[in-house]
Amino acid sequence: MNSTFVLIVLLFLLVVLLGFVFWPGKGIVPRMLLARKEKSRAHLEDVLKHAYDCQYRSVACTVESIAGILQTSIGNASQLVTRLESMGLLERDGSALHLTSDGTSYALRIIRIHRLWERYLADETSVREADWHRYAERQEHLLSPADANALAARLSNPQVDPHGDPIPTATGEIPIVPGRLLTALEEGEFGRVVHIEDEPPEIYAQLVAEGLYPGLQLQMIQRRPDYVRFEAEGEEVLLATPLARQVSVTLIPEERRKRGPFATLTAVESGRAVVVTAISRACRGQQRRRIMDLGIVPGTRVTPELDSLTGNPRAYLVRGTLVALRKEQTDQIFVEPDAGVA
Amino acid sequence: MSGTPNEACATCPAFNAGHLTRLGIDLSNVDFVVALAGNPNTGKSTVFNALTGLRQHTGNWPGKTVTRAEGGFAYSGKRFKIVDLPGTYSLLSTSADEEVARDFILFGKPDVTVIVVDATRLERNLNLVLQVLEITDKAVLCVNLIDEARRHKMEVDERTLARELGIPVVLAAARQREGIDQLLKSMFEVATGAVVCKPRRVQSIPPAVAKAVDRLTERVAGFFPGLPNARWVAMRLLEGDQRMIDAVESGELNTLLDQAQRPAENQQARVADTV
Amino acid sequence: MSTTDLKNPSSSPTASLLTEANALRWEMGEEYHDSLMEGIYEDAARIADRSVTRSGERRRFNLDRAIDHLVTSKWTGFPFMFLVLAVVFWLTVVGANVPSGLLADLLLDTVHPMLKGAMQSVGSPWWLTGVLIDGAYLAGAWVVSVMLPPMAIFFPMVTLLEDFGYLPRVAFNLDALYRRAGAHGRQALTMTMGFGCNAAGVVATRIIDSPRERLIAIITNNFSLCNGRWPTQILIASIFVGAMVPAHFAGLVAAGGVVVIAVLGVALSLVVSWSLSRSVLRGEASAFSLELPPYRPPRILQTLYTSLIDRTIIVLWRAVVFAVPAGIVIWLVGNVTIDGVTVAEHFVNWSNPFGLLIGLNGVILLAYIIAIPANEIVIPTVLMLTVLTSAINGVGAGAGVMFEADSTVATAEILRGGGWTALTGICLMLFSLLHNPCSTTIFTIYKETGSVKWTALATLLPLGMGFVVCFLVAQGWRLIAGG
Ligand SMILES: Nc1nc2c(ncn2[C@@H]2O[C@H](COP(=O)(O)OP(=O)(O)O)[C@@H](O)[C@H]2O)c(=O)[nH]1
Ligand SMILES: [Mg+2]
Repeated sequence: MNSTFVLIVLLFLLVVLLGFVFWPGKGIVPRMLLARKEKSRAHLEDVLKHAYDCQYRSVACTVESIAGILQTSIGNASQLVTRLESMGLLERDGSALHLTSDGTSYALRIIRIHRLWERYLADETSVREADWHRYAERQEHLLSPADANALAARLSNPQVDPHGDPIPTATGEIPIVPGRLLTALEEGEFGRVVHIEDEPPEIYAQLVAEGLYPGLQLQMIQRRPDYVRFEAEGEEVLLATPLARQVSVTLIPEERRKRGPFATLTAVESGRAVVVTAISRACRGQQRRRIMDLGIVPGTRVTPELDSLTGNPRAYLVRGTLVALRKEQTDQIFVEPDAGVA
Repeated sequence: MSGTPNEACATCPAFNAGHLTRLGIDLSNVDFVVALAGNPNTGKSTVFNALTGLRQHTGNWPGKTVTRAEGGFAYSGKRFKIVDLPGTYSLLSTSADEEVARDFILFGKPDVTVIVVDATRLERNLNLVLQVLEITDKAVLCVNLIDEARRHKMEVDERTLARELGIPVVLAAARQREGIDQLLKSMFEVATGAVVCKPRRVQSIPPAVAKAVDRLTERVAGFFPGLPNARWVAMRLLEGDQRMIDAVESGELNTLLDQAQRPAENQQARVADTV
Repeated sequence: MSTTDLKNPSSSPTASLLTEANALRWEMGEEYHDSLMEGIYEDAARIADRSVTRSGERRRFNLDRAIDHLVTSKWTGFPFMFLVLAVVFWLTVVGANVPSGLLADLLLDTVHPMLKGAMQSVGSPWWLTGVLIDGAYLAGAWVVSVMLPPMAIFFPMVTLLEDFGYLPRVAFNLDALYRRAGAHGRQALTMTMGFGCNAAGVVATRIIDSPRERLIAIITNNFSLCNGRWPTQILIASIFVGAMVPAHFAGLVAAGGVVVIAVLGVALSLVVSWSLSRSVLRGEASAFSLELPPYRPPRILQTLYTSLIDRTIIVLWRAVVFAVPAGIVIWLVGNVTIDGVTVAEHFVNWSNPFGLLIGLNGVILLAYIIAIPANEIVIPTVLMLTVLTSAINGVGAGAGVMFEADSTVATAEILRGGGWTALTGICLMLFSLLHNPCSTTIFTIYKETGSVKWTALATLLPLGMGFVVCFLVAQGWRLIAGG
């Protein structure tokens, strides 16, 4: 009996193993085949995106530039181009490549998914900023247009991505975001950041590290050929001109300007009442709304009441209610001393 | 204990709790649908339990009701279905609970929406009340936890509130069943149309935004004449709410309009149903 | 053609409306929502100001604040929390003993023989009596007698704390830990729910907005000991941990053992959250906002009544429903034979070497497979299988009959007779904390996540950890004890 038992077990294991390897759609082999197909599609889509980008920046798109962007050989790149040509998405004009109208709408679809996904990551998840682009690069090839529309609906049809780039609509329209380069802001003028170019990533990371984000209010202090100096949220920032060129701003009219001083709620000592002046634009999406839902809007009186073991979170008295908030959030709430108390 | 003017009958037998029959989960032949909205932790489920005899989970922390519950009761010869919506601080954000609450109050077309608020935190709670009143004009405000307010030496003037908000206001302590009779009476009156509300709409919208809202409201009203909550529709469109976009495109908004225009007819149909 | 036309907004009559809405959105940008909220709050403040009058609210507010300072401050917050936890467990352990014994007397020693006699007198065949009475009835009765008393004590106490408003303060205290683990502060709340029932805890995670943190909360909820696992913890702690100290400390030390396991569960949930947010669910701890409601004096009698109805009965009912079919299975594996040996013995003999490697034995492993639907029936299954496989005579009530040993002492004798040591006991307590969730919880996880992948992870991760932890403890123990 024992040997038959062992035999049955072995047979069973064999079947499981075979299923594991060959099961349609789920097994290892079908998955590998699928992955290869997806990889080549991703490459094709990346070419289209690159071509669109070239068109947008009015530079020539060539087989060489494609090979550079995809980090592949010229031979590979021209193979991809040939395939796209045969699909009617790309046209050759001498050495320059152009998107056909089909190609443009395809590219816009990919860009739409990319930017929507970034917006999703920024608004609803706690994925860190440095990872947004990378994740979106992957997701843009995986989501179907229907998925993208569902995502857009869930996010209440956002119009711009977290860097301020417009998100193409489902019908392939892409609005032009108003604004001028930061370097064009006159001394003394107030501007709001509307866009930060997110490529190349190293430069973008530097700008983020300087505390820039779309929605930030700043005032130009000094504009020189090789640098600009401005004030934002109570701090002075100095940017070299090449960096400042990556940032676009719009003028803020008098009545929309945030009032200083920019002390954060975190810094307020326990028991002292303060009044909220603004919530930083770096606090976005779901988080921002939650804070406002709890009654914290400009003009609200807030008093820190309870410290936890580490002082983070703290509980604040807001409109008669105790509300616990983490330091990461109170860092983004600006306050001034309560005039009625001070 | 009511902010509505006609209190003459507060003592007559028709309004005693004896008139309430808890139906539990029996939801057959309902005449009216009641929605129960409010901030988390204001006693919605306690009110729900008091009316239906069911046992929704209650407890003193925000967020315990995460699913929608339904129950029934009969009052003054009418059968009511009551829906305990998840507690929300607002209806203008994007979380799943809010969607449930928002959609039900608008598209579920409840005959009356009871907004339960915490008497000791009225200011914060009124945020939601004002939003609900943008959506529906058949609402009753239940100022719950009035016993707590008294302990904190706070006094809520229901007449002022009723005047300000334009809807019946009832002070209650649901856990002690205080004010439940009065709540039933007000719900009944609003649902049957005996009392017509004139809900307050938000007045202090900052000018820059108000201009856009007004313009779009006009356009919405142009497309859907007689829509009672055109401004809410406009506000939602400005937030990019897909549900509202769909409702505009599919013409679903017209169904809201029909109901608003023919309340009497509707009611007759319902009475006929139950006979 | 016509359908696509309908879907295309540019051709529907309301298109101009939507286009205008879009244009206005571009004009106002993010400003819109903020301004609207500001406006609404301005109205709200004005109305509230007109309709609320206060007189001397100061004094009352100070009492709330004084309690808050006690339960959340740097020095007293955590000690107070542990004290509350220990008192709740101690009352449960000590208070459940007597009624548990009485119920066992009634349902197992009195009613069971009567039912059996009745079945025999109406001429039912032995196997039918076996399946129905020795299998189904005994399983259900055992669950009632072992679970009802601790639940009837534990749930009202938790409900009182809940109604008083203590739970959000626990979340407030623990948030710093959860933040460092990359998780959401409200996970503390869902974890507390999990102490009652993991399936309920998983549903409760809906209060967490962020999908990443919500998944973490779902996957780690199983580390909260649910009520189905306390009877195991309490019994084994009494036999093997309590027995290490003089008799009059036994109750206290046993309760201490259970608290240690419960706290270990919380600690592990933090560790796992931390590793998840650095691997498959990478991200930073996001926002945390939680309203701390005012303290409300609970209504004691009403609470006792409703928590008995709401929770105890419902949870118990579920347990019984699952225990009955499991009882039948136990009876079957104990009575169906292949080559003259019961199925149970086949499996036990086969898996015993592996079980011993991780400080357990084949009996325990089989018991955990049978008990997948409900953790509550682990101990009776273990006892039955132990008797069956070690062929102790004079105890038990026949092959495949699940039973409650008369007292802890008798249970201890059976287990020791089956080759159990203190190591087996400790490993069982650990394994009871660290194994797959029950089937209801697995199903709930699947419903909430909609993903086979996450469900599988939530199921297999604790099981894998259980094997590893038990293996390490067993090997370490043997190394030190020189076994
Ligand atoms: N003192 C007092 N407590 C109440 C009253 N109504 C509800 N509660 C308590 O307030 C808490 C929240 O109630 P619940 O119905 O769960 O609120 P929900 O979140 O709005 O459904 C519970 O602990 C209730 O026992 C009341 O009128 N007076
Ligand atoms: Mg509730």
